[in-house]
Amino acid sequence: MSSRFWTQGGGSDSEDEESEYGDGDIDNKAGDNANDAPSNPYLETNVTDSDESDGGKRVVRSAKDKRFDELSATVHQMKNAMNINDWVSLQECFDKINKQLEKVMRITESVKVPNLYIKALVMLEDFLGQALANKDAKKKMSSSNAKALNSMKQKLKKNNKQYEELINKERENPQPSEDEKSAEEESDDETASEVGSDIVPSGSDDDEDEVIDDEDDQTEEGWQKQMSKKDKLMDKQFMKDPSEISWDVVNKKFKEVVAARGRKGTGRFEQVEQLTFLTKVAKTPAQKLEIFFSVVSAQFDVNPGLNGHMPINVWKKCVQNMQVILDILVQYPNITVDDMVEPDENESQKGADYDGTIRVWGNLVAFLERIDTEFFKSLQCIDPHTREYIERLRDEPMFLVLAQNVQEYLERVQDFKAAAKVALRRVELIYYKPQEVYDAMRKLAEQTGEDGEGQEPKPEETRSPSACIAVPEIVPRKPTFSESSRTMMDILVSLIYKYGDERTKARAMLCDIYHHALLDEFSTSRDLLLMSHLQDNIQHMDISTQILYNRAMAQLGLCAFRLGLITEGHSCLSELYSGGRVKELLAQGVSQSRYHEKTPEQERLERRRQMPYHMHINPELLEAVHLICAMLLEVPNMAANTFDAKRRLISKTFRRLLEISERQTFTGPPENVRDHVMAATRALVKGDFQKAFDVINSLDVWKLLKNRANVLEMLKAKIKEEALRTYLFTFSSSYKTLSLEQVAMMFDLSEAQTHSIVSKMMINEELLASWDQPTRCIVFHDVAHSRLQTLAFQLTEKLAILAESNERATEARIGGGGLDLPQKRRDNQDFAAGGGNRWQDNNLSFSQRQGGGSGRTGYNSGGRQYGQAAGSGYSRDRTGQSRGTGQNTRYQDVAYAGSGRTGYQTAARGSQDSSSRMVNLHRGLRA
Amino acid sequence: MAANTMARSFLQVAATEEAAPPLRVVQIEGLVILKIIKHCKEFSPNLVTGQLLGLDVGSVLEVTNCFPFPQARVVEEDEEIEAEGANYQLEMMRCLREVNVDNNTVGWYQSTLMGAYQTDEVIQTFLNYQENIKRCVCIIYDPLKSNQGVLALKALKLSDSFMELYRSNNFTGEKLREKNLSWVDIFEEIPIKVSNSALISAFMTELEADTPVTQCDCDRLQLSTSPFLERNVEFLIECMDDLSADQQKFQYYYRNLSRQQAQQQAWLQKRRTENMARKAAGEEPLPEEDPSNPIFKPLPEPSRLDSYLITNQVSNYCNQINGVAGQSFSRLYLTKALHEN
Repeated sequence: MSSRFWTQGGGSDSEDEESEYGDGDIDNKAGDNANDAPSNPYLETNVTDSDESDGGKRVVRSAKDKRFDELSATVHQMKNAMNINDWVSLQECFDKINKQLEKVMRITESVKVPNLYIKALVMLEDFLGQALANKDAKKKMSSSNAKALNSMKQKLKKNNKQYEELINKERENPQPSEDEKSAEEESDDETASEVGSDIVPSGSDDDEDEVIDDEDDQTEEGWQKQMSKKDKLMDKQFMKDPSEISWDVVNKKFKEVVAARGRKGTGRFEQVEQLTFLTKVAKTPAQKLEIFFSVVSAQFDVNPGLNGHMPINVWKKCVQNMQVILDILVQYPNITVDDMVEPDENESQKGADYDGTIRVWGNLVAFLERIDTEFFKSLQCIDPHTREYIERLRDEPMFLVLAQNVQEYLERVQDFKAAAKVALRRVELIYYKPQEVYDAMRKLAEQTGEDGEGQEPKPEETRSPSACIAVPEIVPRKPTFSESSRTMMDILVSLIYKYGDERTKARAMLCDIYHHALLDEFSTSRDLLLMSHLQDNIQHMDISTQILYNRAMAQLGLCAFRLGLITEGHSCLSELYSGGRVKELLAQGVSQSRYHEKTPEQERLERRRQMPYHMHINPELLEAVHLICAMLLEVPNMAANTFDAKRRLISKTFRRLLEISERQTFTGPPENVRDHVMAATRALVKGDFQKAFDVINSLDVWKLLKNRANVLEMLKAKIKEEALRTYLFTFSSSYKTLSLEQVAMMFDLSEAQTHSIVSKMMINEELLASWDQPTRCIVFHDVAHSRLQTLAFQLTEKLAILAESNERATEARIGGGGLDLPQKRRDNQDFAAGGGNRWQDNNLSFSQRQGGGSGRTGYNSGGRQYGQAAGSGYSRDRTGQSRGTGQNTRYQDVAYAGSGRTGYQTAARGSQDSSSRMVNLHRGLRA
Repeated sequence: MAANTMARSFLQVAATEEAAPPLRVVQIEGLVILKIIKHCKEFSPNLVTGQLLGLDVGSVLEVTNCFPFPQARVVEEDEEIEAEGANYQLEMMRCLREVNVDNNTVGWYQSTLMGAYQTDEVIQTFLNYQENIKRCVCIIYDPLKSNQGVLALKALKLSDSFMELYRSNNFTGEKLREKNLSWVDIFEEIPIKVSNSALISAFMTELEADTPVTQCDCDRLQLSTSPFLERNVEFLIECMDDLSADQQKFQYYYRNLSRQQAQQQAWLQKRRTENMARKAAGEEPLPEEDPSNPIFKPLPEPSRLDSYLITNQVSNYCNQINGVAGQSFSRLYLTKALHEN
């Protein structure tokens, strides 16, 4: 009833308000004008409770006014309730007023609570205090009333906490006349809230205090009012009188904008704009720097999600800002950037001529890394087959120059650790580029650099010529690249090795290995890999490093293949292919597992790890190389061991594929890489090297190779050789003698080559034959072993294993080296087997060095030494082929127990180990 | 009357058996041997078993009759088969008693391949028998070996000390050392004596051909020994694999054990320093044993039984190879001499 009445009455009120409001708007500059506003006649009548305004003419009121009316009506109601001490209705009113308040705040988009409300709160509190103090009255109260009183007490307490400060303020300077005050408050509210709404659109309740804090400074308020309308207005304001802007003003504004960061409804772009503007009016270089840091971090904020990337134009701006930061830093060497200590509030007040060091909060490396990450992410997200991707790639030099500048700066300030981190970022952008790509990038950088200097006259400088701090471009905007990518890598990597932490070093090492492999320097990169012992502890590293490791291994394998080192190539690649998840291991695509449904979370994680397209190692080439290596090793091996019960597999993957292809009833013409290699294998098994080569040659992945002709030539030679070996293994029993000439002709090899291949086989006792020099014939000795003999050999082998494990057990018992040491050492060898058979001797010597003082029995170390000596000679063949075939060899192995056994065991365990490593990674991927 | 005295003597035997002399000889009727051979050979690649019946007289175990167990037919429920087997046995014994044959079980026979009889099952069956009968033997017949002209018949029993250990089922290294039991001591071979009634002996002499050479002698001269050797070596290889696996099990155990001990030491050390500190502070020291701590839970030691049995088999194979090789050599020399002549 009454509320209705009051809304009606509100008509004139709103009218008045409006007019008053207009006044306020006009003489805003005076700021305090509102306080002197004539007391509203309506409001006076308001208290007298008269109907006189009822007849006032109706005006279309804005929703805002309506709300205010409601609010004041409720306040009045409360007053009435207080008069009759009716706590129940008071409680109802309180709830209502709170609800109304919310509405008011929403409509006015204000951050400040209307003073009317605060007033009411104060009033309520006082009344409550009285009521509580008056115990007799309390006792007399009806039960419902008392109950309401108690609940009111609690509610009020809770509610008032939010507005404590305002209430205190209100209490401190109570106005003589309540009505007048309320009027004035109201008007003040309006303006204040208006101001707030422009600067910080609709903050949540809790944040209000902060803003209000800012506002209690009167001058400040005036300034804010100037700023209140639009950013444009702000600009104008600053443009008009730059000299009037003081450090304080800028600082205040800066603080305020920063405080708004991350709040709901804060426009991210606007914030960036505001801050950018502030950089132009900054008073001291330190302040400018400080604001720039905020700009950069605000720019990082522009894209909130983890999956999306930063808009490219923002990214570019961000890079530019970083450059300016560096400019400032270089220009004013007394400014230091630090993120460890919270700097003094007014540190940035110190001018450019300040003597001591000025500390500014910020972390260049973190920013740089973030920029790099964003770049990487954008490449991940953009479809690689579009023009956009290429455009994006062109931005790389931009980042490189920034990284270079940051690194130089850091080196100058002796922060080598950070410099190493930056260097790593640079390395990671360079390592996968072959010289050609590198040259192209260099050219591009030079070009854009030239263009850029012409058309980039520092836009911010032109826009506000009166900028307080002019920062000349000091740091170069054009990247300098050394002539070859290798020298560049060397410089960066050596810096990292010197100063980097463990992870940085490991990553740099992997990049280094990758790059060496890219440049066909197999031995260098292999030595790096072995010396760094990365193989040992890669499982314990983070996933992205593991991916890098996998990439490096893949590249190493390709490199070995290009150089004709088939065994090495195979051992590098076989690990990758053993699990059938190459894509996942190289982060070049997400593999769909049939059995294991991934959670969206996992999938997102995995997606975030993907390599951008331009960094991919061509999977077809990789597969072709892996399968061809496997073929070249496995085909003669199969031919040699046809009748062996327990055949030794060199490549399980290859065997499986071969089985599948053999099971087919009809083999069509080869389509994919796998088919090609299988077709080649079938030809090679028959000794038809020409066909095998033709099939492989027809693969179109070869065009990806740099020196295609050489590689194919090498491949042809290898195929011939293996075809010859396969032929001899398969058909030697059908021959009594075979003339050298004939063999050479059959396989299109020179006689010298043929001679050397056959001799090698004889030496390795794979081929039981001898040369008849005068007739130039191979004379085959038909020494087929009986089954019993074969079995006897097997038995001896088993016995040898048993004996060794016995020995180890005894050793543990008598405490030779303890159980752990041999264990560790064996692990070491496992890696050697996993990494490459040829390297075994290498690692053996490692392990020997390690275990020098272990007190291992002489017998064993003797064996090891033998392994080393023999291994260096023809270890590849021994471990590769002869082992399974010639029983004599095996016998020999047993005789030289130590070496033979280790070789065998490592070979056996190598595969296990590798798989476990992959599994580890896999787990990590899943996790 | 005679039967009466017989019965009394049985009773007496039963009464005095408390201090029975150890089993010295297994005396087998020719009939039993023939029956066993027939049964085993007929099913040759398959392994068969049968029941031995007879009498236990002093240190001599007389085996007077036997009957084969039926082959377990196609896959049926295990329990069913068992029940059927038991029924068959009872039925068979009842029938035999009716025709006045000794129906006292004294053990069982089984065929084997290349002497691979040292298995866990044999030991278990033996113990099962042992529960009911004080003295029992297992007769093992190897039809393959018999092809080489020897009667490959063996009577075995488990040694007492082994049985004791097996019952308590702890084949840890310590216990074995305590008992001084090595792998040789699991099985005891008992000499077999073939006895025939005078009548049969006379009949056999009557039947004997004029030529002194029998089929057996011809078999013995057979020169191709390699299949037999091959089989042996194959089995040996298998054994080696088993042994290696066993070895690995032990290694694993010891590794774990040493790790656990290290942990225990570390824990104890910690506890001691803690106690020192407590003592210094005048508090009650904490106990040095903490049974609830998982590191004090003893690790189960793997049983040595398997490796013992494997070792037994290995030695068996080796003996066979030795024997065959030795004979082969003499045969080769013989033929060489013959050729020279």
